[in-house]
Amino acid sequence: MKKIETKFGEAFYEALVRGVTGISPDILRLMEEALAEEKSPPAQAMLEAMLKNVELAQKLRKGVCQSPGIPCIYVRCGPKMAGIDVKKITGESIIRATREGYLRPSIVHPLTRKNTGDNSGPGIPNFEIELDPKLEYLEAIVSFKGCGPELFNTFRTFTPESLGKNLEGFKRFLLETVINAGGKPCPPIGLGIGIGGQMDGAAKLSRKAISTRKWNDQNPDPELNLLEQDIRDRINQLGIGPGGVGGKTTALAVKIGIAYTHTAICPVALNFHCWVGRRFGFKFYSDGTREEIL
Amino acid sequence: MKRPVHLSTPLAPESIRNLKVHDIVTLTGTIYTARDMAHLKLKELKESGRPMPEVFAGGVIFHAGPVVKKADKGFTLLTIGPTTSIRMEPHSDFMGDLGVKALVGKGGMGDGSLRAFKKYGMVYLLAAPGCGVLHAQAVKEVRQVHWLEEFGMPEAIWVLEVTEWGPLTVAMDSHGNSLFHTIKEEGLKKLDALVKDWKRSSA
Repeated sequence: MKKIETKFGEAFYEALVRGVTGISPDILRLMEEALAEEKSPPAQAMLEAMLKNVELAQKLRKGVCQSPGIPCIYVRCGPKMAGIDVKKITGESIIRATREGYLRPSIVHPLTRKNTGDNSGPGIPNFEIELDPKLEYLEAIVSFKGCGPELFNTFRTFTPESLGKNLEGFKRFLLETVINAGGKPCPPIGLGIGIGGQMDGAAKLSRKAISTRKWNDQNPDPELNLLEQDIRDRINQLGIGPGGVGGKTTALAVKIGIAYTHTAICPVALNFHCWVGRRFGFKFYSDGTREEIL
Repeated sequence: MKRPVHLSTPLAPESIRNLKVHDIVTLTGTIYTARDMAHLKLKELKESGRPMPEVFAGGVIFHAGPVVKKADKGFTLLTIGPTTSIRMEPHSDFMGDLGVKALVGKGGMGDGSLRAFKKYGMVYLLAAPGCGVLHAQAVKEVRQVHWLEEFGMPEAIWVLEVTEWGPLTVAMDSHGNSLFHTIKEEGLKKLDALVKDWKRSSA
């Protein structure tokens, strides 16, 4: 292995262990704010247990949640860094973290259900790479979420008719899906919404939006930013609450990613994320230095 | 928060019938983890008249798959937390038939489970989701594991000794009440108004 690859591997593993033994600082802040605003005792007790768990995980250096889900890695890479075998190195780091007990071996063959024992397997981790000739560095964002929320991910292809006047069809679909998911996706949730493209495009956008953006950031598109806030506020009026016991905070964040689409359709994908957002991201330069971004 | 009711395994039938939604309990004694694969295999054993790996009468099933490490003697449990219980919805009547008295998980279960809980005198206990380290604090011993080779770490049945595990919330009781059903109905009642009065929207 090249020296630069070894350095990248070390940086990645260290960040991974830090990432899975806590939750992202932006999410932690939103959880603390949720607790400050919560009035109902069962909801308060639930949020207190969750925050205490994060504190214990950091103190004892244990995985904050037993469920690593399917790890997702988003990479952007400039030409100088194209020689690093990111897919191989990140996959090996995940196997190492599994052997060390930070991640539960949870990956199986989809039909035989045979567990590989170390979170390896074809298509694992979920890996996206984007080449950008202008970049001087390699950027990696890694996201772990429990797999429970995946059970409630939903896709629908709208038409101009079914989108409805003032997007009423779209809004009803969103809220109905969240009501039916209830306490099951480990609320307070993050909700990623992918709109546009075709089925696969919308699905990828929905996952990327909630997995890579800070949950307290603003969408650079002011219209979408407003829509994200509106949706989050409406979801929080549903009263599902932390863990589904009722309460003020059901969603900590709603993040939308869009692509343009065909004149006949509007694909919409919803990606549920539990409150246990374990993420890290950094830029890695050719001299071996790194800069944390998440 | 209410004062917790302390329960020990094997659970006495009347102590479970007495529980109502919103009550808080702690558990002490032996619990069994079981997820999708374990439920399917238990059912298969039962249907073909083969012996069960454990006696489940008065028992507690935890919908969970832990992270464990092999130790010099046996296993050390690192983290454990609830998985999404609704996947086990088809098996509630079967669990009742085996004598199981409490299911512990997250997110709640459906109408079929409520019927089974009434019929057999069972409860559903909600464990705080995403709290793998917190719940592991209550586990004092890994006593036994079944089907580890066959199913892998998450889907095996882990037999665990817990002490004052909780607080766990009674979220579904044996009298037909479900916290989740009530909350869902309230949400559905608000749905039309939320969609129609969606002001300020950019779209």
